[in-house]
Order: sequence, then structure tokens, then C-alpha cells
Amino acid sequence: MINAFNLWFSRQSLVQKLSWSILSCVFFGFLALVSFISEHSEHIIKSQLDSLAQKNVQNYVAEISGLAADTEKIVLNTRNSLNQISENDVDSIKLLLTSALKSSTSSSSSFNFNDAWIYFFAEDEVAKGTLYVSKYHDYSIGFSAEKIDNFYAHFPWFKEVPKEEKIYWSEPYIDQETGRTVITCLLPFMFKNSTILNGLAAISVDLTNIQDNISKFSFNEKGKLLLISRSGLYVTYPDPGIALHTTIFELAEQLNLPKLSALGKDVLSGHSGMMNIAVDVKDFNGNAVFFYAPVPQLKWGIFLIYSAEQFFFPLHKFRSAIMLALLSGLLILFSIISWICHYSTRPLLQLSKIAEHYGQGNFLEDFPEIKSADEIGILSRTLSNMRTNLLDYIEKEKNAASEKQRSQSELEIAKQIQKSALSVDYPQHKAFQICSFMEPARQVGGDFYDFFFIDKNKFAIVIADVSGKGIPAALFMMKTQALIKSIAKQEKSASEVFYKVNNELYIGNDTCMFVSAFMAVIDLERGIMEYVNAGHTPPFLDSGNGYKIMSPDKNVLLGIYKDARFTSGSLQLQSGNRVFLYTDGVTEAENVKTHFYGENRLSKILLQKSTTPSETISLVIKDIKKFVKNNEQSDDITMLEFLYTGNSANGLTVEANNLCLPEVLNYIRKDMSAENIATEKQNNMIVAAEEIFSNIAQYAYKDNGKVDIITAIENGYYTITFKDSGKHYNPLKHKDMDLSLPPEERPIGGLGIILIKKMTDLQSYSYANQQNIFKVGIKI
Amino acid sequence: MEEKKIEIEEIREGTTLICKLSGWLDPNTSPEFVARVDVEGVKSLVFDLQNVEYVFSAGIRAFLIFQRKMEAQGGTMKLVNVSDFIRSIFDYAGLAAFIE
Repeated sequence: MINAFNLWFSRQSLVQKLSWSILSCVFFGFLALVSFISEHSEHIIKSQLDSLAQKNVQNYVAEISGLAADTEKIVLNTRNSLNQISENDVDSIKLLLTSALKSSTSSSSSFNFNDAWIYFFAEDEVAKGTLYVSKYHDYSIGFSAEKIDNFYAHFPWFKEVPKEEKIYWSEPYIDQETGRTVITCLLPFMFKNSTILNGLAAISVDLTNIQDNISKFSFNEKGKLLLISRSGLYVTYPDPGIALHTTIFELAEQLNLPKLSALGKDVLSGHSGMMNIAVDVKDFNGNAVFFYAPVPQLKWGIFLIYSAEQFFFPLHKFRSAIMLALLSGLLILFSIISWICHYSTRPLLQLSKIAEHYGQGNFLEDFPEIKSADEIGILSRTLSNMRTNLLDYIEKEKNAASEKQRSQSELEIAKQIQKSALSVDYPQHKAFQICSFMEPARQVGGDFYDFFFIDKNKFAIVIADVSGKGIPAALFMMKTQALIKSIAKQEKSASEVFYKVNNELYIGNDTCMFVSAFMAVIDLERGIMEYVNAGHTPPFLDSGNGYKIMSPDKNVLLGIYKDARFTSGSLQLQSGNRVFLYTDGVTEAENVKTHFYGENRLSKILLQKSTTPSETISLVIKDIKKFVKNNEQSDDITMLEFLYTGNSANGLTVEANNLCLPEVLNYIRKDMSAENIATEKQNNMIVAAEEIFSNIAQYAYKDNGKVDIITAIENGYYTITFKDSGKHYNPLKHKDMDLSLPPEERPIGGLGIILIKKMTDLQSYSYANQQNIFKVGIKI
Repeated sequence: MEEKKIEIEEIREGTTLICKLSGWLDPNTSPEFVARVDVEGVKSLVFDLQNVEYVFSAGIRAFLIFQRKMEAQGGTMKLVNVSDFIRSIFDYAGLAAFIE
């Protein structure tokens, strides 16, 4: 229910919300006010009504009580007078009786005394007779001698009269002679000198006037006053069938109103009060209020009935009218509020529409200028400012985004430049093989490796790690690399190179960056490696029996101390020896458990016999990847392996068949190109090689056989050695053809060896291990 | 490495035969070369070596064979457009006389 209301309310427009809120506040305020006033006035009126009712009741109580008191007084006087008179003084008795009636009549004007009489007891319980006087007989005194039984027939209540010296009040009854409602007050008397009670002095009071008064009493239109006697008999009642015939208890039973019966009992036992009884009789539909009070002398009760609803009907009617007026007022108010709200929020609506456009990213439309000083005006100006700021911000963001994009692409270019600075063009050289790897942790790294020829015979390898990361490290790296390369071309000793590089780096190194580096310069011909280490991780060296960590002299890092000296070491490389250089990015590669890859794992993987540097590198990469798994790379990973093959020159083994001739010649030509042999010398060598190979192919083996072809650079010669296990044959012993003969007369064979001798600068033949070994060479 | 071939383009003008050669003349290609060029009735045989990379001894022998054939039928043989390198080979073999 509440949720449904909330839902409904939230869907209303601002205008409606405001209207409904104000309206309901006003409505409930008025409602409360009207209710309060109405309740309060009802209460005041009711209390006034109650006191009025009470007052009325009390008035009647006083009147009836007064009547009763007067009567009792006369009866008492009469009795006292009779007590002074002797039994036989009839005249005095008569006089007394008359004066009693007369005095009583004169004493009270509002109530009529009906008659007075004296009843004489007889000894046999039979009335001696009654002396009576009535105002209806001109106060003449009558006497009747009747038997008591007759008397009882007239006055059934007479039996009840006790023979005590005590006033007794009869129940109301109809006087048969006059037809009026009367009650009789009785008191026994004794004549003078008598010792027994001689009779009763009695005065009857006419209640008809009171009955009439009460019946005429009107309170709040339909209010009624009712009188009940000692036994509960209705003395007055609107319905004449009930008055003097029915008691309140009988009526309560008839109407099934136990409360009415309780009221009767309460009032007759001398209590006064108020009671609400739901009755369903004419004029009293619904609740009737009963105010009741006792009449103590007579032990009677009197009560006033009125209908509160009846009484408050005009008030309620008035309240309804007010409510109606309120509702119509509210209706008008609603229209006015709606209009005011609508009018005053119209700019707001406009603002919200424009704001909606803004929400969709359309900032073209500016807010209308609202000059009002109220909140809407402020909002409009604020939003207008916001738009301006937003436009500025968007503009800035755009610039920043393009700036970011530019720097991103610049970074990408930087990466490319850096990559191109790292050589992957591995030279083909018979004296060594090399392979390297570099994977920056970010787009640009601070690690680098390098390798280059210082001259024909000297080859340098470098690995370095610049402090820090990102662009600054990359810039410093480029600088260092360029310095090393250029200085190495002048200074052929590694320690001198580092000395100069260090000083160059030191100058203007305000940011205090530094480089750890290892450099080795290898004399390819002699296999001597000079190396210098500036604070770098020592490389692994495999000198024929597995990789071992080198222990080069320790030197300071590059770029820190001016004029620092670097001590180098040197060692003799044998063919097959290799050096593995790496940066700490390799050993400090982290897995998710933040464990380092470590030197142990590295040396273990290096134990797996790889044959070439590229194999070594890929083994290590695979192993690192296996270890690190998905963890993000934290540092640049860089490594380089140099394998010295020295004089064990390049070679090729083929079938001794002329079909292999193209392969052999191609190999030789490529090898010579790699060694930068001049084209014409290459051509000469090709011719010589062709002659030698085709000769072997033709003559060496009966069936199939192999030829080893080995190329090398030795003592200033480029040499090709042919080895075959065929027929022992020394071509150099072949007798030279006589070239002076005319061509047509020369034998066809033997031409080849001439060409070989002419084309090459060196020829040698040896036979060892059952192999023909024929070597030719050209000077380089 | 692709196998080196000898390509022969023959132009006959009366009794003159001009053979434009390209490729290598090695032990593999020379026999084909000798077999393919028919010199019957040719008085003047001309080999254009402009596109020849190498002439090995097998090639020289092939030219010697053609020289003998031409001699036998009273004709002449000439080599034209010979590179310096190939000329040197012929020089070494003492056969510079073939070259025009």
C-alpha cells in the first residue's frame, strides 16, 4: 500500500508533487482544526447541557421534596393537636381537621392538597369510622363508618401502613371521587390520656399539577422528565398506559434494557448520576443520556432523558458544511497552487530539457538567461557556468587524449628506434656464432646488448643494464650504447673503452643514472678474449666442460665516478667455448609467488647441452616462461651468447657427384661473400673449386662417396679444403699440360689442374687417415 | 641452390650459325650443349657468351670439340662478348685464339 503510494508519488511531476504536498498539508491542517473546534465546542456544550439537565432535575427534586416536607409538617401538627384532644371532643377534632386542610392549602400555592382525614382504629381491628374533609366538598366534614375490608378495597396500600409512630407515604393512586392522582401521608396518633394508638391522621396530596408540569417539561426539544415512585412505578410517562400502571423494572424487561433496570435500582437506593443507554424507542434512536436523582423524603426517583445526537445534530450539520466549504476551497487552492507551481517551474522545465540534451552530449544549446534571483535563477546561471566549464574540460580532454595518443605513438616509435638499435643481424662468420635476446618489461627498456666488429679480426660483445626504467632509461641506454660503439672503434682495449665511456657518461649526469655493463673484445684469429666488467652480473663461460660463472675483476658502475679505472681480464678461447651474458632481469624474473628465477635454475638449464647460441637462448627463454607463467614481467630480460668456433672453419659434406656441384659452389660463394672476398677472387676460387670437385666426383669413388668441403681463413689466406676417402690421388703430381701445343693437339684431360693452379695462390695435398686432403687458397 | 642450366638460342644465316649462350658450362651442362648444337654445313660458327657466368674446364672441352668439328668441315669458330673473367680462363688454358 505504502509502496504503491510511493510509486505513484514518484511518478508525479514536480508541479503535481508540490500541489499534492501543499494541498494535503492544508487539508490535514484544516481537518485537525475543524475536528478540534468541533470536539471542543461539543464538549463545552455537552458539559453545559449536562449541568442544565442536572439543574432541572434538582429543581423538580426540590419542589417535590418541599411538597413532601410541607405535608409531613401538617400531618405532624395534626397528630400533635390530636394528642391534646380527648377522645370524645368530636367538635375539636372536626375543627382541627378542617383547619389542617385549610392551613395546608394556604401554605403552598403550587400544590394542591386533595383531602385530609382521620381514621379511628377499632378494637377488633375494624375501622370505627373515618372522619374526612375534602376541598371538593367545601371543606365540609363527612363521616363514614366502614368495615376495614371495604377500606382495603379502596386503598389496597392501607394494609401496609405500620402501626408505629412514624410517617408513612402511600404509593400514588387515583382518587376515586375526584379522579386525580394523589399520594397520602399518614401518621398514627393517640388522644389525650390514651395509652394506645387511636388512629391515623392523613393528608392526601394532589399530584396532577406536578404530573402536568413534568409532562409539559421540555428539554432540548425531545428531552423528557420522568418520575418514578418508591416501587419504581412511573408517576409520569408520555404514554398514559404506562403511567401509574407499569414500573421502570417492568418496562426495562419489556424493552430488554438491563441498564434501565440498574438505573431504577440506583436512583431508588438514593443515588444520583448519569447514564448512557442505547435505546430504540421513538424520539430516542441511538444513545440517550439519563440524568437521575433521588427524592429522599418519598424515596422516589426522577430522571431526565435526552438524545445527545439530537442535540448535536445542528453542530454536526455545521461541521459538514464547513468540511464541504473546505473541500471546495481546497479544490480552488489546488488549481491556484498548480498554476503557481507550473508558472514558477516553467524555467525549470526548460532547464531540464536542455540538461537532457547535455546528458546526451549535445552542448550546443546554452541555457536561457533567467534573471530572477531565486533558486531557479541561480541554478540556471550555475548550469550555464557548468556548461562552459564542461566545454572547456572536454576541449582539454580532447587535447589531452590526442596528446596521450601522440606520446603513445611516440613511445611506439621510441620502441622501434630502440629495437633497431639492438642488432639482430647476426654476422655469418666462421670464427663464431652469436645469438641475443631482449624483452623490455615496458615499451622501452633500459637493458641493451650489442655486438660489432671493431675491425676485421676484433669482435666486441656488450651487455648492459641502465638504472631505472621507461624513457629516461631508454635515452641513457641509447647514449651508452652509442658511446661504447663509437669509442670501441678508437680504443681497441675494453678497459680503455669503459674508461672513456664512463667519463663521457659522467659529464652532465645530473640525474645520477648509471649503467652496469660487461664488454668483451675477442681476437677472432687468435681466440683471445679481453673482458671488462663494470658492476654487471658476471657471465657464464663454457670452456669445454660446462658453464661456470666467470669471476671478472670488479669495477664500479659506469657514469658515477669521474676518471674511474677499469681493470680487464683476458683468456684464451678454444674452439667450441662459449660465453653467456645476461642481465639481472633473467635471474630476477618473478613468478606469482614472488620467487626469483635465480642463478641455480639458469645454470641448470644451461647444463642441457645446446649446440648453438640460438638454441641456448631459446632454451633459457622457454625455461623462464615456464617458471614465471602468467606473472607480469617486472624487468627487462636480456641475454646474449657468443660461441667461438675459431679456426675450425665452416664446412659442408656432400655426395661426390656432379649433381651436387651447384650446392657446393653456392656454399663456397656465400662463404666468401661473408668473408668479404673480392668478386674476381671469388670467381677464381669458384673455378678452382669446380675443377677440384668435379674431378673428385668423376674419379675418386667407384660407386658413391662423400666429400668434405671446409672453408677457413688462415694466415691471410682464404682456404677451401676438399677431403675424400676415395682413390689415393695427388692432383699436384699430374704432369702439366704443354700449353705450347696448339689447342687441337692437346689432350682434353689435365686442363682442370692447370686452371686450379692458375686461379689460386695456394695448393696443397696430403693423404692422412685414408683421406685425400686437397687445399687451395687465395690471399686476402 | 637451383641447378644451373645452359640455354642456347641459335640463329642461322646461310652457312653462319650464331649461338647465344646463357648459364654455366660445367660437367653437367656441357654434354647437353655439345649434343644440341648441330653444326652440319656450317661454315662460320659464332658463340655469344654475353650471358655466360662460368666456363669450367668441361665447357672449354666442349668448345674444343666444336673447334675440331669446324676444322673437319672447313669452317671457323669464334667466341664473342667474352667477359674478362672468362677470357682469363681461356688465357690460362692457352686458348685465347678462339676469342675474337
